[in-house]
Amino acid sequence: MRRISPSLQVMMIKQMKTVRVAALAGLLAFSTGCKDFLDVNTNPNAPQDVSANLYLAPMLHWLVSGPQFDGRFVARYTQQWYAVSTSLTTWDRMGYDPSSDNGAQQWRDIYWSFGQNLVDMMTKAEAEERWDLLGVGTLLKAWGWLALTGLHGEIIVKEAINQNTFSFNYDSQEFVYQEVFKLLDSAVVLLQRTDGAVDVGYMARGDKIYNGDRTKWLKFAYGVKAMALNHFSNKSTYKPADVIAAVNLSFASNADDALLTYPNTNNDDINFWGRTRGNMTALQSASNGPYRQTQFAVNLMNGTAFSGVTDPRLSRMLSPSPDGQFRGVDINVVGFGAMTAAQQPNNFHGFVGTGGVGVPGRFLFDDKAKIPAMTYAQLQFIKAEAALRMGDQATALAAYRNGISSHIDWVNARNLDNNQQPTQITAAEKSAFLASTAIVPATLTLSHIMSQKWIAQFGWGHNEMWMDMRRYHYTDMDPVSGTQVFRGFTPPTTLHADNAGKLVFRIRPRFNSEYVWNRPGLDVIGGLATDYHTKPLWITQP
Amino acid sequence: MKNRLLTALFGVLLLAPPATAQERQVTGKVTDEQGTPLVSVTVRIRGTSTGTLTGSDGTYAIRATVGQVLQFRLIGHTPEERTVGVGNVVDVQLKRAATALDVVVVTTLGQTNVRRMLGTAQQTVQGADLAQTQRENFVNALQGRVAGVEVTSTSGVPGASSSITIRGVSSISSSNQPLMILDGLPLDNKTLNTGVLASDRPGSPNAFSNRGVDFTNRAADINPEDIETLVVLKGPEASALYGIDAANGAIVITTKRGKPGGGFDYSNNFRIEKTGARPTLQRVYGPTTITGATIGSFSYFGAPYAEGTTFYDNIDGFFQTALTQKHNLSFSGGAPDNRVNYRMAAGIDRQEGVIPGAELSRVNLTGRSQAVVNSWLKADLSMIYAYVNNDQPYKGAIGPLLGLLVWPQTDNAKDWLTPAGTRRRLTTLSESAEVDNPYFNVEKNKQNSTNNRYFPNMGLTITPFSWGDVTSNIGADTYTSEHMVLRNPQSAAGFQWSGVIDVADDITRNINAQTLLNLYPRDLGRGFAISGLLGNQISDYKSTNQALSGQDFLDPNFVSVNNTNLRQNRTTINQRRLLSLFGQATIDYNKYLFITVTGRNDWTSTIPTERNSFFYPSISGSFIFSDAFPALSRGMTGKLRAAYAEVGKDARPYAYRPSLEFKTTSGGGYGYGFTGPNLKLKPEFARSYEFGTELSFLNDRLGFDVTTYRKQTTDQIVNDIRGSYATGFILFNLNGAVTRNTGLEVTLEGTPVLAPQFSWDVVANFDRSRGRVLKLPNDLPESYVSDTWLFGNVRNGTAPGLSTRSLTGQFYLRNEAGQILINPTNGLPIRATGAAFIDAGYDRQPNWTMGVTNTFRYRRFSLNFLLDFRKGGDVLNATEQYMTARGLSERTLDRNEPRVIEGVLRDGKENTATPTKNTIVVIPAVQTLYYTDISEELFIEKDINWIRLRDVTFRFPIPGNLLQSREATGFITGTDLFLVTNYSGMDPIVNGNTAAVGGSGAAGIDFGNFPMPRGFSFGINMRF
Repeated sequence: MRRISPSLQVMMIKQMKTVRVAALAGLLAFSTGCKDFLDVNTNPNAPQDVSANLYLAPMLHWLVSGPQFDGRFVARYTQQWYAVSTSLTTWDRMGYDPSSDNGAQQWRDIYWSFGQNLVDMMTKAEAEERWDLLGVGTLLKAWGWLALTGLHGEIIVKEAINQNTFSFNYDSQEFVYQEVFKLLDSAVVLLQRTDGAVDVGYMARGDKIYNGDRTKWLKFAYGVKAMALNHFSNKSTYKPADVIAAVNLSFASNADDALLTYPNTNNDDINFWGRTRGNMTALQSASNGPYRQTQFAVNLMNGTAFSGVTDPRLSRMLSPSPDGQFRGVDINVVGFGAMTAAQQPNNFHGFVGTGGVGVPGRFLFDDKAKIPAMTYAQLQFIKAEAALRMGDQATALAAYRNGISSHIDWVNARNLDNNQQPTQITAAEKSAFLASTAIVPATLTLSHIMSQKWIAQFGWGHNEMWMDMRRYHYTDMDPVSGTQVFRGFTPPTTLHADNAGKLVFRIRPRFNSEYVWNRPGLDVIGGLATDYHTKPLWITQP
Repeated sequence: MKNRLLTALFGVLLLAPPATAQERQVTGKVTDEQGTPLVSVTVRIRGTSTGTLTGSDGTYAIRATVGQVLQFRLIGHTPEERTVGVGNVVDVQLKRAATALDVVVVTTLGQTNVRRMLGTAQQTVQGADLAQTQRENFVNALQGRVAGVEVTSTSGVPGASSSITIRGVSSISSSNQPLMILDGLPLDNKTLNTGVLASDRPGSPNAFSNRGVDFTNRAADINPEDIETLVVLKGPEASALYGIDAANGAIVITTKRGKPGGGFDYSNNFRIEKTGARPTLQRVYGPTTITGATIGSFSYFGAPYAEGTTFYDNIDGFFQTALTQKHNLSFSGGAPDNRVNYRMAAGIDRQEGVIPGAELSRVNLTGRSQAVVNSWLKADLSMIYAYVNNDQPYKGAIGPLLGLLVWPQTDNAKDWLTPAGTRRRLTTLSESAEVDNPYFNVEKNKQNSTNNRYFPNMGLTITPFSWGDVTSNIGADTYTSEHMVLRNPQSAAGFQWSGVIDVADDITRNINAQTLLNLYPRDLGRGFAISGLLGNQISDYKSTNQALSGQDFLDPNFVSVNNTNLRQNRTTINQRRLLSLFGQATIDYNKYLFITVTGRNDWTSTIPTERNSFFYPSISGSFIFSDAFPALSRGMTGKLRAAYAEVGKDARPYAYRPSLEFKTTSGGGYGYGFTGPNLKLKPEFARSYEFGTELSFLNDRLGFDVTTYRKQTTDQIVNDIRGSYATGFILFNLNGAVTRNTGLEVTLEGTPVLAPQFSWDVVANFDRSRGRVLKLPNDLPESYVSDTWLFGNVRNGTAPGLSTRSLTGQFYLRNEAGQILINPTNGLPIRATGAAFIDAGYDRQPNWTMGVTNTFRYRRFSLNFLLDFRKGGDVLNATEQYMTARGLSERTLDRNEPRVIEGVLRDGKENTATPTKNTIVVIPAVQTLYYTDISEELFIEKDINWIRLRDVTFRFPIPGNLLQSREATGFITGTDLFLVTNYSGMDPIVNGNTAAVGGSGAAGIDFGNFPMPRGFSFGINMRF
C-alpha cells in the first residue's frame, strides 16, 4: 500500500486551508450570483421589442393583402369570380365553409398581425412624440375595426387585445362605427402635427406605402372617413355633405393612391393574385376550385349593361378565352357548363388551365402588380354617390367622370407594374368612351355610379364593393331610372342550404378563434345560428 | 459567477484529512454460495471511512482492530457483517438473491442501499438482459421488463425514435419522458424537433411539423453493451431527489467498470431481418378513370380488371432482407487489490433496414477508470464517445409506404424512371398531388443524421471524516448532430418548390456539476440509527441549432444548399439553467422500520424570477413486518411501503415572454409570433403518493411486489393552447390544467424449479395505469398538440373528464340516445362540423399490459424469452382509411351491395321518443361519398390486444479451447418474431409523429408507418 509522504501531507493541508477560505468566499458569492446565473431567459433568437418604425411594414402589408386573402371568398358574393369546380361551391351559393377559417383572414390580421404590435408601436411612438407614426397607428386601428365590422358585423372592440382573459363580449356595430370616427378624428389631429419627433426618414423605414409622408396619410385618413360616413346611406343620420367634405380633403389624384409594392422575393411578398402564389389557378380544395371571371363582370364591360358600349378596360382587366372572345362563366351551372374548350375563359393570368408561371400576367393578377388599400377613383365615386343623394347633379357628374377617367389611367399604370400582357388604353379609346352618353349621361343615376364604382374596385376593393352591394341589398332598384343599381346582378338561383332562402350579409367570425374558443360570446349575438351569415348588418338597415 | 461557483464546489471537496488508528492486517476471501470468488465486493469497516474492494480472486486485505465490524456489500447480493476477532482471516459468503429484502440496489444519486430501506417503487434491469436482445436502442429493450414502463417506437426503421413513459401520460403538452442519468449525471435523450429546421420557420408553407421525418432519441447513442445496470425509479416519490426533471420518473444507468482479473471480452452479432407484416390490396376493381396508361388518380372505384390482367407484386420486391452486424471489444481489469480499475471498450454496429436505403452505423468508444488514491481520496473518470450515422426513409403522408400501397398493381413500380432519367408518373394529378413511386421515394428523397457525442464525467470522492464522504462529479454531455433532409425536386413533397433541402446542425452542450455529502449511518441507541446526505447541483443546458433551407434546385441531382436559388436560414438557441440544493435523512429503527424524508429546492431560469424558486419534500416509509413480528417470518418475508412526494416542474425556455419574428411580408419588419405573454407563469406541481408491499415466500423462491399510486398534477403548464384571437395572440403557455394518474403495478418473481443444474425463473410485470384530465386552463373546451393532427380530422385532443390519451375528431353526430344521425338527403351519416373536435369515447390507454420473462438454465445453457401482453387501448388505422377512401382496401369489395346505414334521420325528430329510423339504401359504388367522406371514427379500432414475442435468446457454451478463449458462449436471438393481435393493420405499436412531440403525442395513430421487422441474430461472447 502506498503511503503519502509526511511532507506532501503538510503541503496538502496548507493548500487545503487556502481552498477552505476560497470555499467560504465561494459560498457567500453563491447567494448573490444565483440570480445572474439564472438570468438566461431572454430569448436570444428574436428581439422582445424593437424600434417603433419596425412594426409598421408587416401591418401595412396586411392592410392591403388581408382583404385580398378574404377576397377569394368575398369576390364570389360580389360575383367577380366563380370557382370552377365539380359542384356548385358553398361560397358561390352565398354560403360559407363550416369549421373553416376561410373568409376570416382579416380577423387574424386585425387581432394578431395588428393586435399587440399596433399597441406596442403606438405606445412607443407616443412616448417618443412621433406624432406621425402615432397618427398612422391610430389610422390603422380605425381601418381595422371598419374593415372587420364590415365583414362580420358585431366584433370585439372594447375588450380586445387583452391577454388576461379568454372570454370576450362582442360590441354592436353602432359602437364600432362611433369608435372608428373617434379614432379617425384623433388620427387627423396627430397627422397634422409637425412638432415632437415627427420625421419622414424614421417613418419611411417601415412605411412602404407613402415613404413616411404624413401628409399623404392625412389624406388617407380623410378618405377612410368619407368611406365610413358614406356607409350610413340607409340611415336617417346620413350626411352627404360631410362625405363630400371629407373626400375633398383626401386624395387629389392617382398620385395619392395607397399602393403596396410586392418585391417578389419569397412566398409572402409576392402579390397574392400572382401566378406564383397560385391562389387563382390552383384547386384549393374539393369545394374551392380555380377561379374564372363571371358573366356579371363581363357584362358590365362588354356593352350588355351599358347600352352596347364596350369598355376599353374589358380587355385590360379581364381574360379572353382561347378564341379571343371575352366571356364569363355562369355561376349557376357546374364547371364551365356547355362552353367548349376554346370558349372557356383563360385564367386571370391569361393562360389556359394553370398556365402562366414565371411570365407576366394581366392587370392585378401578376406577381409584382401593386395593390391599393384605397384609390382616388374609388373616393370620387363615393363623392358622386353622396352628391347625387343630396341632389347635386353637377358635383356628382364631375366626380363620376373623374372616377372613370382616373381608373382608366390607373388600369394602364397597373399593367405597367411588371409589363403585363395587356396593351395600354390609348387616349383616343379613353376619350371616346367618356364621350359616350351611355357611360357619362346628362342625367346621372345611382345605377351609373355604383356599377362603375364596382368596376373601379374590381380585383382588389372587396371590402367596400361588398359593402356597396349590401347597402343596396344586392338588387335594389335605382329610384330614378328604375334599373337595378348593380346592373345585371342576379343572386345565385340555388342558395346554400344553411341560408334558408336568404342572401348573405356577413361572414361568420373566424372559426378557430371564436367558434372553438369563444362560443359563449358568440351565443349572445346569435352567432351560433346556422344562418347567422344571413343576418343583416346594422349599418345597411334604416 | 460560474467560476466562483466552481471554486465553492471544489472547496467543499477538500476538507479535513482523516485520522488513523491502531491497526492490523485482516485478509479474507469473498465468494458466492457456489464458492465462486466475488470480485469488487466493497469491504468497509463500519463507522469509519476505511474500505477496500475484493480483487480478481475474491480476496481482500484491510487494516482493522479487534472488535471492529467489517461490512461486505455487492450489488445484487445480501450484505454481510463480520466482527474482527482474534483471527487474521475473515472469509465470507454472499448470497445472491434477486427478491430478498437485503439485496443491495442502486437508488437515487448513485447511492446503494439494501432494498429493505426503500419506501418507494423501483426496479432494476441488468445491462446484460438489455444487451442480449441485440437491439441497438436500449430503450426498446425495456418494454415488458419493468412494470409501469411503456415504450413506443415511432416505427421499425433503424434509428427511429422511441419514447418512454413511466406510469402513463400526465402532461397534456410537455414531455412525459423520464430523466435519464448516466453514472450520476443527466443524459440528454432529446429527439430533434423539426421546429428548428429552417423549413419549419413560422409561416413556412412546407413545414414538417414532426410528421414526415424522424430523428433518433439521443439516449440511443449509448451502447447497450456498456450498461451494467439500469434502475427505473418510477414515481416522483422515488425520484424526488433528482428534482424537476424527474417529475416523470428517472432511469438511472450505471456503466460497466473494470475488475481485477479482467482481460479482453469480445462479442459479435449477426442479424437478419425481414418485414413481418404486409398489407393486402383488392385486385378486383381498376382505377376510377383511365385513359390509355394514364389514370386520373390513385383511386380504384372503376370497372373490374379485365380477365387475364397482368398484376405485379410491387410490395413483395420492395422490402429487403436487412443484415446487421455488431462487434464489441473491451479490455478491462484492475490492480489485484482493486485500488485501480479500468475498462476500455469499443463497439461498432452497422444496421440495415428492411426498407432500402435505411441504415444506421454506430461507433462507441468508452473508457472508465477508478483509482483509490489513498485512504481518503478516490478518483473516477469516465468518457463516452459515440458516432452515429443514420439514413431513414420518410414516413407518413410523404413516406414510401403509401406509394407502395396505391401504386397500380397493373404497373411495375420497379420501373420508376423515365428514359430521360426523371420520375416516371402515371396520373394526371399534378406532380405534387401524385404520391411518389416508392422506389423513387427511397432512392431520391433523403434524410441523414450524423451525430458525434462526448460524455466525459469526472468524479472525486473524499472521505475526510469517519462519519461521511463527499463526492463531487462534474461532467459534460455534448454533441453535434448534423441533419440533412432532401425533398427531391421531382418528388411530390419537393416539386412545388423545385426541391427543398434542409440542413441543420444541432450543437448541444449540457454541463452538470453535483456534489454530495454523504453521512454514514450513526447509531442513536435504543435501536435507532440515522443516515443522510446533502447535496447540490448546478446545470447548464444549451443547444444551438443552425439551420439552412434551400429551395429551387439548379442541378436537380446535386445535393447541397449551394445548389439552390432561394435560401432561408434560422438560428434557434435554447438555454436553461438550474440550481438545486437537496438533502435526505433516513431513520432506521431496528432495521425493520425506515423513514426517509427528502427535500429539494430548485431555482430555474425558465420561470419569472419572483416565482422561480421552489421547494418540495417527500417522505417515505418502509416497514419489514416479518422482522418486526418474527412469528410471521417463518415462511415469508414481508415489507410494507408508503410514500408521498411533491415535485415541481418548470416551463420550457422563453415560455413566458413573447418575442417578435422577422416578417418576410412586403417591406420586412418585425411582428409578434403566435404565442402570447404569460408573466404570471409559475411552476406546476405534482402531488403523488404510493403504497406497496413486497412479499417473498419459500426462501425467496416466490416474490410479489405490488404498488398502487395516485399522482395529481396541478397548475400544469399547457403549451401552445389556443384562445380567441381577440387576446392579440393565437397560442398561450398557461398554467391551470389538472391531471390525475392512478395505477397498479405488480411484479411477480418466481423460481419454480431450482435444481443443482437446472433452474427456471419467471418474472412477470403487470401494469394498469390511468390518466385523466380534470381541468384545462381558463376552462377552455379542448387542448391538443397540433402536430398530432396529421391525418384527416382527428387529433390527440383532450378535455376535462377525458383520458390524457384520448382522441377527438369530426366524428359522427349522434342523438341523445347515442344513435348515429343520418342525412335525410343521401342516407349517409352526418359528421361533426362547426364546433370543436368532439369526443366519442376513444382512448389509446391500454387497460393493462404485462411482460413475462422466462429464463431456463441448464448448466451453462440458457433460454430466455419475453412475452409482452396488452389488453385494450384504441388505435387509429389511418393507413386503412387511406386505402379505403381510394377503393384499395378489401373492405371496399362489397361496394355494389346495397345497404342501409344504421341510424336515425336528422329530421327534427331525432331526439324524440320516436326517431325516424334510417331506411335510405346506399350503394357505395354509386354514392362514392360513402368511402371518401367516411369518418376516421370507423377506423379507430377499439380495444386492441396483443401478445408479442419481444425477444428470445438461447445461449450455449462453446468449449474454451475451441476458440482459444478463457470462456466462450454462443447465442441465437430472435426479436419481434411473432405478434398475435386483433388489430387489422400491420402493427399497432407506432407513432404518427416522433418522440419529440409532447403530451400523449401521436402514439396509436398508424399512418404510413413501417412495422417492427422480425429479426434473427446469432453471435458469440468470448473472454480472453
